[in-house]
Amino acid sequence: MHIWLEFKRSHFALIGFAILLLFCAIAILAPLLSPYDPNVQNTNAILLPPAWEGNGSISHIFGTDSLGRDVFSRTLYGSRATFGSSVFLVIIALTIGVALGTLAGMNKGIKSSVLNHLLDSLMAVPTLLIAIIIVAILGTGLWNSMWAIVLALIPQFVHQTRTFVREEMKKDYILLDKLDGASSPRIFWASILPGMFELLAVQSTLALSVAIIDISALGFLNLGAQSPVVELGASLSLSLEVAYSAPWLVALPGFCIFLMVLSINVVGEGLRTALRNRLIH
Amino acid sequence: MNPVLEVKDLVYTHRVKRSIFKPIDEFILGPIDFVLNAGETLAITGHNGSGKTLLAKSLVGAITPQQGNILLEGKEAEQSDKKTRNHDIRLILQHSKYSLNPAVTVGAILNQTLLLNTELNEQDRRTKIAQTLVKVGLLREHYYFYRHMLSDGQQQRVSLARAMILDPKVIVADEPFAALDPSVRSQTVNLILDIQQELGMAFVFISQNLGIVRHISDKVMIMDKGKVIEAGATQDVFKEPQHELTKKLIDSHFSLVDKHFEQF
Amino acid sequence: MPLLEVRNLTVEIDMGSEFVKALDKVSLTVETGEIRALVGESGSGKSLIVRAIIGAVPDHWIITADRLTWKGQNLLTMTNEQRRVIMRREIAVVFQDPTSSLDPSATLRAQLEESIPEEFLDKGMFWQRNQQRREIAIGLMHKVGIKNHEACMQRYPHEIAADIAQKFMIAMALVSEPELLIADDPTRSMESTTKNQILRLLTGLNETKKLAILFVSHDLLAISGMAHSMTVLYCGQTVESGKVKHLHRRPLHPYTKALLDSAPSFQINLPPKSHLVALEGTIPTLKHLPIGCRLGPRCPNARRECVKVPEQRVVHNHSYSCHFPLHLPIDDQAENNE
Repeated sequence: MHIWLEFKRSHFALIGFAILLLFCAIAILAPLLSPYDPNVQNTNAILLPPAWEGNGSISHIFGTDSLGRDVFSRTLYGSRATFGSSVFLVIIALTIGVALGTLAGMNKGIKSSVLNHLLDSLMAVPTLLIAIIIVAILGTGLWNSMWAIVLALIPQFVHQTRTFVREEMKKDYILLDKLDGASSPRIFWASILPGMFELLAVQSTLALSVAIIDISALGFLNLGAQSPVVELGASLSLSLEVAYSAPWLVALPGFCIFLMVLSINVVGEGLRTALRNRLIH
Repeated sequence: MNPVLEVKDLVYTHRVKRSIFKPIDEFILGPIDFVLNAGETLAITGHNGSGKTLLAKSLVGAITPQQGNILLEGKEAEQSDKKTRNHDIRLILQHSKYSLNPAVTVGAILNQTLLLNTELNEQDRRTKIAQTLVKVGLLREHYYFYRHMLSDGQQQRVSLARAMILDPKVIVADEPFAALDPSVRSQTVNLILDIQQELGMAFVFISQNLGIVRHISDKVMIMDKGKVIEAGATQDVFKEPQHELTKKLIDSHFSLVDKHFEQF
Repeated sequence: MPLLEVRNLTVEIDMGSEFVKALDKVSLTVETGEIRALVGESGSGKSLIVRAIIGAVPDHWIITADRLTWKGQNLLTMTNEQRRVIMRREIAVVFQDPTSSLDPSATLRAQLEESIPEEFLDKGMFWQRNQQRREIAIGLMHKVGIKNHEACMQRYPHEIAADIAQKFMIAMALVSEPELLIADDPTRSMESTTKNQILRLLTGLNETKKLAILFVSHDLLAISGMAHSMTVLYCGQTVESGKVKHLHRRPLHPYTKALLDSAPSFQINLPPKSHLVALEGTIPTLKHLPIGCRLGPRCPNARRECVKVPEQRVVHNHSYSCHFPLHLPIDDQAENNE
């Protein structure tokens, strides 16, 4: 399709896309790829440095942590938790947000207006804060932190969708659809949704980036994934105590998070440029 | 001759609330009366804001008049019977750019119209769409085109195709030529004349271009501030305008034409 | 010496993968006190010419010309500062949609008074200068025919009618007392009475102040009403140029004739509801420009030779670029008698 051709033109975007695919693969295949169980403790190999350091060994490529657990396996499982849950929750937030936004955009009335203003004012609060508040109510754990972030991300989708749908409903071609006898659902699926892809693609990449940071932040604050679930942010916080003697324990999870967010932003930017340029070529 | 479109005593009140402090602005369109036969063309002209677009929208049922009757082939066009009404009287708007959804292909647009208004199966729909595209001077391949791949004139043709595809009795067009270049305008005018002759369709169009109005319309209606100030056969109105405003409009047009002929 | 002289102007646009000649050796001149019409449809490049003259073309586009001069000064080689001085005081531009050219957040009075150049004010104290600004502003409003200036001055752009807005734009343009007014399709989407008012205003200004006007449009009716001479453009090429009456009486280029044919009022014996004579095909896009004469694919007279760009030939101030013009301009006497 035209969009893919446009996207391919930027090498950065392609590299970012490759890295993104890599993370997707890790998220799905982590159990198959990791050499050890991430929670198995090996008291004989505590705080081993990564294989490329002096006293590292090839059997633990990324070394081990203070309990002898293999860092490579933990990184794989952690990426799966961080990345996988982020993708999952963005999909849910997208679906709910678009549904609510469409209803709000297609209907007029005081009720929807009040709801809209409430949701909009929520957008002024940082998503992490909202997530923390919700976790405080629901309790800790990976699932709860996921729900918290879903709720925190919904207002953005609602707002963008509502604005877009409202503008589209005023357009002449929607009037012609109505005269042709199209029902509201039909107008949404056939006429408005195709025009929304660009908006949704951009919003989703932004949301994904926010979700990853928020999930790992919650994990870091010990409000998110609890042991035995392995998650990058949680691993980061555990490694802080030994940060001076074993810097790789902080660097590796941190680098993974950095790489995830970077690749998403690069792909998002490439997607935006491709969508903008497809009309020119 | 049975009139294909008859409008009696049409009144529409357009209310606009500007702010909480100012009173509601009311614009009253009408009362409007006219009769149109098959194959005839009615031109509606007048200053901006004279209610022409409101009239066009009430004819096709986009807005509901408070009073009055619209009869299609002698039968009342009920607001509730949208299907028949939509079948018989269809609308083309001024800016073809905004009449076409940029995210949807030409084929999808035309297909939806057929899907919602006819009992044709998929194969028949494809055939009908191909036929219509060719009739308006486009190619069958344009089925797959998006709006941005088409020129202004081609986009206008798609709008015309969408209107024509249900074989309507009347097509209402709001300034269909205004946004077109002169060469494209000539082609579109010829196209509409051809279609009118072939299908026996009645055509109501709004235009400020008095040259085109004079050339292609049988009847003309001059509007100002929501009222019809003069109406009649085009030849008569242009030769002997009665109302002040009509005289002014026609004079300003013809003073330019005269200047052209003075050069010869 | 002509006020504005453009000869063989070529502008190449960056289309991403290659440069395309959006303007291909275009020429036109405007003499002092002359109204020249620049006629063309979309894609003809007429707005691009205006931009090249006023210096609003992106830097990475390539502009070449044999001559692009204003009162003898070369516009291509002068500095930005010199350019700006000319644009401020000697050339003024009026665009298509008056409401979008005005600042929506300021009243009309504020915008007009603000644009009066300092050099025109000669009184001493600042309140006297403000008073003088007001007087000049009122004078200008009257000159363009806005009689109840008080009511208009305090309004915002979206509150006034289109015709008053356009007259106001002309007043804004006249503030600096320019020698050339470039009007880019000022009467588009106006109905005939308003159009007439604007055209009469421009003609009046031309006659009383010897204001030269470059009138860019494709409305032939408007042009025959007021222009002295015209240049016809198609797809970035000049196809014909000369006095309006010559071109209308005997158009030499098929495209000029097609434009004249598109106005039914110009055809005397045209039966009502009959076909208008129209060119086949559509205007090519920048990506698919034909080689040679760009009207080639659509021209009813086209033959093999048309794949070469026709040279410009001049016969008594009537120039045309066509291998097979509609009439062979052999009659010196006939043209001479104008």
